[in-house]
Amino acid sequence: MKKQVLSVVYMFLITLFFASLVSAVKFLSQRKIEFNQAIKLQRIVLKVLGIPVGKGISDEDLMQLYKMRVRNIEVRESTLYVGYEEDGQSIAGYAFPVGGPGFWGPIQGMVGVNPEGKKILGIAFYKHSETPGLGGRITEDWFAEQFKDLPLHPIEGDRNIFYLKPEGTAKAPNELDAITGATNTSSAVEAFLNQELDYFLRELWTSVKGKE
Amino acid sequence: MPNPPSKKEIFLTGLWKDNPVLRQILGICSTLAVTNLMVNTLVMDAGLIFTVCMSSLTVSLLRKYTPMRIRMMVQTLIIASYVIIVDIMIKAYLPDISEALGPYVALIITNCIIMGRAEAFARHNPPMSSFLDGLGMSLGYSLVLIAIAFVREPLGFGTLLGFSIMPEGFVQWTIMITAPGAFFTLGILVWIMKYFRPQPGGEER
Repeated sequence: MKKQVLSVVYMFLITLFFASLVSAVKFLSQRKIEFNQAIKLQRIVLKVLGIPVGKGISDEDLMQLYKMRVRNIEVRESTLYVGYEEDGQSIAGYAFPVGGPGFWGPIQGMVGVNPEGKKILGIAFYKHSETPGLGGRITEDWFAEQFKDLPLHPIEGDRNIFYLKPEGTAKAPNELDAITGATNTSSAVEAFLNQELDYFLRELWTSVKGKE
Repeated sequence: MPNPPSKKEIFLTGLWKDNPVLRQILGICSTLAVTNLMVNTLVMDAGLIFTVCMSSLTVSLLRKYTPMRIRMMVQTLIIASYVIIVDIMIKAYLPDISEALGPYVALIITNCIIMGRAEAFARHNPPMSSFLDGLGMSLGYSLVLIAIAFVREPLGFGTLLGFSIMPEGFVQWTIMITAPGAFFTLGILVWIMKYFRPQPGGEER
């Protein structure tokens, strides 16, 4: 009996010690981790809005730039990032998060559109679990670059906003190169991104215009 | 009764003679998962070295006080604590790598090498020996992972530590990036190891 009580007390003390240790480390690193996440998001927003960020810019300068050029607005419970020109007055574009199911797991990205909502300024995928080197190539520049200047219009019938074609066969402005060897990821991106862009144009865009 | 092994022997046993990956076939999950890029491999190695050494040391320090019946609970708690600390540190100071490694850092907890060393060695041996045993085993693990990454990254991506090293026009071996590539590489390594150093009691004897 005494032995059992001892075991419980021992376990309690050990747990208390290690839980305190982990909590202390967590507490001391919390701000750094949140800072990293904020910087990462800001970098992406600036990128898709086409606001030039100097190479090797320090985190502090990046935050400063972001503060000057981007404002957040809430539209129908989603956050929209409004980018401003250097004068701080005229709007450079809008950025909004997009996301949907990929082949292996959810994919998250950010899209920037021009002030008229007529074409894409930039796009970035920043969270995914696709196969590195295959579907994972959605994060590479060449893939994102093709979306630049893509004309936007709400989906009408079966006419999608864009199509992903086998590499090298894309011809029309709304046809882009898919990723060779990653057919499933490509079609997943094509499916959810068309839906998300359509939702933005149909639902959010009117609210954005109403706010101004 | 043979003399207890010297400190050097303890260290070398883990590093080479009883190498945890090639000999004991432990820690395979992470071996397969993170070795397609050298950078990820090195961070994983550092995390594992820290966790094994520290948990072996702690388990050994507490070995005379820990009641037999709850020792596994205590070991798991100790290992989990160190792994969470590693995870937090990587998130705070190496955010890009933290994302690339995804859940695998937290999964160090389930790496059989750690609990294996705690059970098989640290709970019977003094702290310094246990620490060295952990160091030898985790360095042995690290060496194998580095060797595999050294094959997979150049063949799969044409790079090493992110620098292009393959000739122009090199066609990347997609299979090396995915898990099957790791299986083949590891299998070949184990085979080579068996060929040069047959295990006592194995078919070669």
